Amino acid sequence: MGELVALTKKDLKILLRDKTGFFFTFFFPLIYAIFFGTIFGSFGGGGSGTISIAVVDADKTKTSRAFTESLRGTPELDVVEMGRDEAVELVRRGGKVAYVALPKGFGVQRDGMLWGEPPTIEIGLDPSRQAETGMLKGLLTKCVFEGMQDLLTDPDKMHDQIEDWVASIKADENVDPMARTALLIFLPAVDTYFQSKPREKAVADGEAAGESGGAAGFQPIVFESTSVARQWDRPKNSYQISFPQGIIWGVLGCSAAFGISLVTERTKGTLVRLRMAPIGRWQILGGKAGACAVTTFALMCVLFTLGTVAFKLRPSSIGLLVLAMACVSLCFVGIMLLLSVLGKTEQAAGGIGWAVLMVMAMLGGGMVPAFFMPSWMQTVSHVSPVKWAILAMEGAIWRGFSPSEMVLPCVILVGVGAGCSVIGVRAFSWTEQS
Amino acid sequence: MLKLSHVRKSYGQNVAVDDLSLDIEPGEVFGLLGPNGAGKTTTVNMAVGLLKPDAGSIELDGQGSPEEPRVRAKIGVAPQTLALYEDLSAIENLNFFGQLQGLHGPSLAKRVAWALEFVGLTDRGFDRVKTYSGGMKRRLNLAVAVVHDPPLLLLDEPTVSVDPQSRNAIFDNILALKAEGRTVVYTTHYMEEAQRLCDRVGVMDHGKLLALDAVERLIEKHGGKSVVTAQTAAGDERIETDDPVAELSRLQAGGKLEHFRVDRPDLEAVFLNLTGRTLRD
Ligand SMILES: Nc1ncnc2c1ncn2[C@@H]1O[C@H](COP(=O)(O)OP(=O)(O)OP(=O)(O)O)[C@@H](O)[C@H]1O
Ligand SMILES: [Mg+2]
Repeated sequence: MGELVALTKKDLKILLRDKTGFFFTFFFPLIYAIFFGTIFGSFGGGGSGTISIAVVDADKTKTSRAFTESLRGTPELDVVEMGRDEAVELVRRGGKVAYVALPKGFGVQRDGMLWGEPPTIEIGLDPSRQAETGMLKGLLTKCVFEGMQDLLTDPDKMHDQIEDWVASIKADENVDPMARTALLIFLPAVDTYFQSKPREKAVADGEAAGESGGAAGFQPIVFESTSVARQWDRPKNSYQISFPQGIIWGVLGCSAAFGISLVTERTKGTLVRLRMAPIGRWQILGGKAGACAVTTFALMCVLFTLGTVAFKLRPSSIGLLVLAMACVSLCFVGIMLLLSVLGKTEQAAGGIGWAVLMVMAMLGGGMVPAFFMPSWMQTVSHVSPVKWAILAMEGAIWRGFSPSEMVLPCVILVGVGAGCSVIGVRAFSWTEQS
Repeated sequence: MLKLSHVRKSYGQNVAVDDLSLDIEPGEVFGLLGPNGAGKTTTVNMAVGLLKPDAGSIELDGQGSPEEPRVRAKIGVAPQTLALYEDLSAIENLNFFGQLQGLHGPSLAKRVAWALEFVGLTDRGFDRVKTYSGGMKRRLNLAVAVVHDPPLLLLDEPTVSVDPQSRNAIFDNILALKAEGRTVVYTTHYMEEAQRLCDRVGVMDHGKLLALDAVERLIEKHGGKSVVTAQTAAGDERIETDDPVAELSRLQAGGKLEHFRVDRPDLEAVFLNLTGRTLRD
């Protein structure tokens, strides 16, 4: 055991002394993560200010259409109208933040909002997205009031509306008798008042009336929230994508560096010295594997900590993230052992090794995130351990994986690591010839 | 101490070591002398368990084959090809290899300091090996062999490219180790080294052991006659003889001796007589 620690410490020391190696292991991934995180942050995300929603109009009245139009006119909202099933599916898949459904009878309710039940709007969204919920409710309320303000500033519209209201109050038997009496006196009086006022003044008074429209006890709108559990979460910021990617490059770099250093031990003769020492062969390879594991793990710890402290990385589960990191380490330690048998000289091992790692990275989403890839390529990417490494890390950062969802990527990572280790250890050439 | 019995090793068609038997006595300095390609390094590598002989057996101190880690812990090797971590300092190299030999704590520090002193590198101990000259690396390579104070040392051409002064210091240290009862196997193609250091010498060529004995007895048996070269009034004379002193007195008695030189046979002559070639052709 002491020998294993000595071997591992020796390799770490050598790695830290190698300035280029150290740069590529620690700083390159960090720069990558920050650079791409920042770039994508300013492009993507739909300009972060707007909330993208789907509107489901089940009412299809003049009033509901007008309300939809007023939502469309709201700059903070990005509105698409569609059927209910489609809307629910889109929200579930993360394509829309929420759907807003105007139920049958919305128009009637909206028109009778002063005396009857306030209109009901169904909002379907992920219960975890509190910030957007609040903002969306505020915007919807604003649109309802805007409809009223319209009326108050235009006496002709007001006149039509009041006539409508009076008619429907007379027709509606469910209206409270006290309210009915009051409104039947009050509404015509309001109409007369507005008609007799000079137009300009009406605007000013109208605004005042509009403002006081939200007086205590008056509830303009009822929200009925439907929670739509997210099937696939979306990253909350671009660093949640760029950090796992940057880290993958660091891990690939470690894997290549230690694989090559095993070849160097052979070409520089130190492998002979190790074999002359009273230790077994498994300890020699184990020491190298240990150093590689410690380095990749430390790399991930440092970068994720930095990301969390300085770049809002916010992993959803620290425990699962540590699990993912451990599995990624094991996987790439195995790949390191495999890389070490791909070439006889450092140049050959380095060249072949990097070619293999590049292909893995390209296929697995180390360059372009997998969800930007066409679907056939996403299928092909299953063969790359990089894909599973990123998936495991993202699972613990923003995909909100449950422990059972982590099992698949973790088992694949450990399996690939074990398989590569077996091949690497068996094919390892202990002497310079052969 | 170290016993090789009918050991054979070939690389493809090329027989590197052929039916070699050696019995190294505890406490002796044993020289393995032979030209390039004689099979010295192959023999050393088999003795430390690095190579598996095709035939024959190797036993260390009655404890078994050095292929077992427990057995080869008793051996310190200075391989012919330098085997050092260039990015580490001499002290770090010695610390690391000492730890692999099971040393730690103050005893490790003491041994490391001793090994550096052994090869005269104490003042360069903290420098990285890649800043060393060739001879300094060679000396550190030797220090790593002795760091764990093994009872048996296998030194494969440990003084190549080491300057004469450091070489003398190393020789003195090896003799000091011998005085403490350590056993040393020393391969070289410098016969002066073998002659100066070794109690017994095995002469190897083409994988075969040609002769094995104490240096003086080898010379006696295979060195041939001494050569007396003398300048006399009658001209130069070159006389081959078993008794140069008698020849010189004869010439002196003739009163004609102006200048003379006696060439005693050495290991070079032994080798020439055994193989018909010189050591370094
Ligand atoms: N790894 C190898 N593969 C093939 N042949 C080898 C190998 N090592 C040594 N040989 C051959 O074995 C023979 C003995 O080589 P060895 O290195 O033991 O000689 P040596 O006495 O140590 O020579 P030198 O004085 O040059 O070090 C040589 O003919 C050499 O070509
Ligand atoms: Mg040799």
